[in-house]
Amino acid sequence: MKKLALFAIIVLIFGTMSPSLVNHAYGQNDPSILLRIAVQAEKQIVNQLDKKYENQIPNNINILYDKGHRAVKSLDQSLSNNDIEKAKQDFLLAMNSFMQISRIMSQSSEKVVVTISENSTQNLQSKIDRIEKYVKTLESISQKHNKIDQNKDQFTKAYSLIKEIRYQINSNENPYDNINELNNLMNSIKKEIRNSIAEKQSNSIKNFFEKFLAQIDEKLMEAKDLDRDQIRIDKANELILEIRELLSKNQINDAKKVYSELKVVLKDIGISVRIT
Amino acid sequence: MSLLIEPIQSKKSLGDEGILFVRNDSIFDTMVKLPLLVASMIVVAALMPIQSSFSSPRDLDLIIYADGSTHVSTEIDVDPFLTDYEVNLFGNTIDNLVVIGDDGFLLDVDVIGDTALIQTFGSSVVTIEYDIHDLVSKQGRLWTFSLDSPSDFTLLLPKNSAIVGMTNLPLNMEIINEQNQLTLSSGSTEIDYFFSTNSISTPIEEIKNEEDNFLYAITGGIIAIVLVSIVIFVRNKQKDVKTIDEVVTIQKNNILDLETIFKLKPDLREDDKELVKFIFDNNGEALESELRKNFLQPRTTMWRAVKRLEREGVIEIEKKDLQNLVKLRKNMEEDN
Repeated sequence: MKKLALFAIIVLIFGTMSPSLVNHAYGQNDPSILLRIAVQAEKQIVNQLDKKYENQIPNNINILYDKGHRAVKSLDQSLSNNDIEKAKQDFLLAMNSFMQISRIMSQSSEKVVVTISENSTQNLQSKIDRIEKYVKTLESISQKHNKIDQNKDQFTKAYSLIKEIRYQINSNENPYDNINELNNLMNSIKKEIRNSIAEKQSNSIKNFFEKFLAQIDEKLMEAKDLDRDQIRIDKANELILEIRELLSKNQINDAKKVYSELKVVLKDIGISVRIT
Repeated sequence: MSLLIEPIQSKKSLGDEGILFVRNDSIFDTMVKLPLLVASMIVVAALMPIQSSFSSPRDLDLIIYADGSTHVSTEIDVDPFLTDYEVNLFGNTIDNLVVIGDDGFLLDVDVIGDTALIQTFGSSVVTIEYDIHDLVSKQGRLWTFSLDSPSDFTLLLPKNSAIVGMTNLPLNMEIINEQNQLTLSSGSTEIDYFFSTNSISTPIEEIKNEEDNFLYAITGGIIAIVLVSIVIFVRNKQKDVKTIDEVVTIQKNNILDLETIFKLKPDLREDDKELVKFIFDNNGEALESELRKNFLQPRTTMWRAVKRLEREGVIEIEKKDLQNLVKLRKNMEEDN
């Protein structure tokens, strides 16, 4: 028994330690990545400086660039020496210097948070990329519930619209009618998926409510024994009855609404809602 | 040998001289209850992942599109005993929001500002997908991505983008469809990038350094030692007990058939039914670890599923060699 116990302790200690070892290993997966990113950033900064200032680079930018350039060289050296901690410091110093340069160069322009209303080709393409991802998400839900045959025509239409919209964007035609049609189609697919799995989902919710309400019943009894506010307890009991009635009629959404009311009353009584 | 702690003041055998003499090899047994210590460690080790898992994203993946909009995809462990769960979104300009429960159900969600109230109703894992327009800003030609992330995350940058500044150390970087994908640690991150007409990104080659190999070797070594020890221990144990076949034959006669179980418990979830089927096919019992391996489920997810089945009265859990042995209940009919 003693041997087994000691063995279990050793296993547990290593078991607890091993995830942190693996995480650490992942963090150091490929330190040369740091150099690649820094070198890429430096090249990009040199390009931007050449374009904007040619040979008349302001002094403050020059100082920052020298700092960044030295840090990249030092990063290369640190990696050759296998000094990972120093390499990390060099990387952050280099990237910070290049970040400052790029921000100084962009200072004259107004800062904007990217909004949905811009309608350039780039934005429209991104919009379609996003909608396509949304279509794929809904398709995978439909597949999971074996409802893909029911929605097959709609998904085929959605993909064909996406193809058409992409063509319109590339040939500078107006794609908005098709985009609206696609949005409406997506709403309709989402609604159909909801309806087709509604029965299965409501059984699962009913089952959950059943256990949940039984627990609340018990807690209300306890609250009664503790002489808590009787009016509120009565109100809670009424709401529970109402929820049970709605569930028996399969009116899940209404039951959820009444449950929201019940939660407030329970909170007032001092009952925390959680089943065990 | 008794492992009970006996208070030193109650010992009668200290002798007339009052000299305390304790044998070296029994110090450990006298001072601590070894099984108790082991049990405590098991409990701590089992609870740690559960405590840290609720409400923290298991996965967080972001994709930045060319117009600066970002697709967020995250999977969060939630408490299956709560009816709803509030999650902070990364902003309030949200599009294409989809929230999926662990049965693949579309969950109802109310979004108020940057907060989403999800009606989970028993789901233990929720997947949230949405597009957001708050994470990237643009000044001149410079684009800046900013996020204070609650967990490590991956970030797929748009095509032809070139990073010119960042405030966080990347954990990894790879090229996916000519796009840079960074893996970043939790906390505040800012990344500046330009769009470059002549992309200077180059695919990253797989480099495995010696340090990695060393760590993998250590981890592999530990796993090998543990496995060999378990095999030796189990073999020794089996000498003293009946063969598994004998036990199984005796038990299977008392277990209800699958059809009856599902009739008695019509509300079982589909994935739970699969578990029951597996246990049934496995002669009515299976270790929780076997279930995890077979269904490729994380420890916490399987633990919750097993607990759910236990609450339903379909299975009972026994301890066997410090593991959970999940057995189909024999007297289910009596409960109904």
